[in-house]
Amino acid sequence: MFELLVRSRKFIIGAAVLLAIVLFGIIGSMLTRDPLAFDLYRFVEPPSGDFLLGTDDLGRDVLAQLCAGTRNSLMIGAIAGGFATLLAILIGGIGPYKGGLIDETSNAFTNVIMVFPMLPLLILLAAILENRSMFLVAVLIGLTSWPWAARCIRSQVLTLKEREFIDVARMSGMKDRKIVITEIMPNMLAYIIIVFVVSLSIAVLTEAGLSMIGLGPDPSTNVTLGSMLYWVMNSTHAALPWNLWWCFIPPGLILTIFLVAVFVTQTGMDEVFNPRLRKV
Amino acid sequence: MMRRVFTHPFTKFVGRKAVFYLIVAFIALTFIFLIPRLMPGNPVDQMIPPGTTDVGRLKLRAELEKYFGLRNPDGTPRPYIDQYIDFWANLLRGNLGYAMMRGYSFIPVATVVMEKLPYTLALVIPVLLIGFFVGNWVGARAAYVKGKRSEAVYFISVITSQMPFYWFAMVMLFLLAVNVRIFPTGGTFSPRFIPGPNIESFIDALRHYALPFLTLLIITTGGWASGMRSMTLYELDSGYILYGKQLGFRNKKLASYAQRNAILPQFTGLNINLNNLIGMTMIIEMVFAWDGLGLLTLDAVLARDYSMMLGTFLVTIGVVIFGNFLVDIAYAFLDPRIRTGRGG
Repeated sequence: MFELLVRSRKFIIGAAVLLAIVLFGIIGSMLTRDPLAFDLYRFVEPPSGDFLLGTDDLGRDVLAQLCAGTRNSLMIGAIAGGFATLLAILIGGIGPYKGGLIDETSNAFTNVIMVFPMLPLLILLAAILENRSMFLVAVLIGLTSWPWAARCIRSQVLTLKEREFIDVARMSGMKDRKIVITEIMPNMLAYIIIVFVVSLSIAVLTEAGLSMIGLGPDPSTNVTLGSMLYWVMNSTHAALPWNLWWCFIPPGLILTIFLVAVFVTQTGMDEVFNPRLRKV
Repeated sequence: MMRRVFTHPFTKFVGRKAVFYLIVAFIALTFIFLIPRLMPGNPVDQMIPPGTTDVGRLKLRAELEKYFGLRNPDGTPRPYIDQYIDFWANLLRGNLGYAMMRGYSFIPVATVVMEKLPYTLALVIPVLLIGFFVGNWVGARAAYVKGKRSEAVYFISVITSQMPFYWFAMVMLFLLAVNVRIFPTGGTFSPRFIPGPNIESFIDALRHYALPFLTLLIITTGGWASGMRSMTLYELDSGYILYGKQLGFRNKKLASYAQRNAILPQFTGLNINLNNLIGMTMIIEMVFAWDGLGLLTLDAVLARDYSMMLGTFLVTIGVVIFGNFLVDIAYAFLDPRIRTGRGG
């Protein structure tokens, strides 16, 4: 399986870019200044040798914010994506395997939540919490974004369940829980990884949007890619905040590169694991 | 005859969907009752003028809470279960209550919402329809581009569909409103402009409308195009097309077969696209200060205005549910198994 993956050009390019972004976030935030330190004598400076990406309207180093923001946004995405994937496995995976009433209820529940527009729901939920930490926001995003993943996993379990080796396991007297853990899950691992990575990217995108309108983690103590956009939207200094291009172009660019890389990696993995698309 | 109408699979399908969406609406409305009441802070506090003494504040707050049904007439707090019954009683009578938030205080919520709704629909409906047709048309064409240019087409469609829409909005503002001053930076009309039924108001509104509309359109079109491109490529690769090719069918005929099959999954995507678009429009309205329902919703949430939140979310969820229902019916028409009632 791994050999096939390495031969897929899309997977290699996408994964390399993703790795570069992760390293940029982790190593970059160790090398740069404190992203929250004000320097009120040097505000709104365009990029220069001193501040590689300039400073924002409160005199904070944009490059430092970018590194820390990338790291924090990815962390929120990983927690939210993991949470959503876990919920999706519980709700979308157990239902079809058990069948009957459990399946009907869990499927109906998924469909009901799926009709809700996610962002308005998230805005309502976020407004309940007064002091939003990064972890809380991540959990909220995970709570609202699982239905899509649950559907994917449900359809996968439905097809796996009909395969012969599951029948053999059942006939040989294996317990249900053991079948799920030792027979179904290993066969779904690649699929679950794709679901997790896509959930992660959706969570990163959602967090930035939520933070931009001021409903993400508290922007005065947490730096994320979205909080950088929030400070531009709520700029106190510039008459036209849109002139501060060095403050909002970089975080959006990182987001775009990240999302495109996830999409390309996912397509590469799909082409390897899905026999009908397999070309390599 | 009547019996056949009721037992026809199409009627059954529509009936089942209607019951499903009614359940969704009930759960959604219960959420809209409950969630605002879990939010911190008191919604009537912002209606008390600053500088009021503590005694006056308490008195005024009690009066306001009575007015908005948060307190019984005798001054005791009204239990949530009674408020919930009032909520449904008022809703079924078509009474959405009065707004609490600054700038709209004591105005009927229905009046404010109806005033803002056309601005949001003016964005959502054209973007949904034009994006769907243009995106799928471009995607179906893009599947036939070969060689070096095919990679370029792939990357453009992936980037436009994956790019964060709110950031793209900021970039559009920066490029087209600040650097090249073609469009205004925000608002629905120019400041100090009195709109009326004349050509100047129309042009002024159109200039303000252009940027939010283009932003949403480019993002949704990119999404449809990249989906349609890969679906068409997938269909072009399948057995029936290869077989048709060997039988000597014209390419045009084969393309029409492939596209007809590729468009079906796109139709199921319309539901999810509508739900996403409603959320996207909300944030886009905020970036461009477009005076629609989305901006009002955000302001209502930030002001914790119970009745305004009910009004805006009621309409948002109504639009979403009605749109989903329409898409489901359209899909049933397209799927011959449901339409004719044979097979399946």
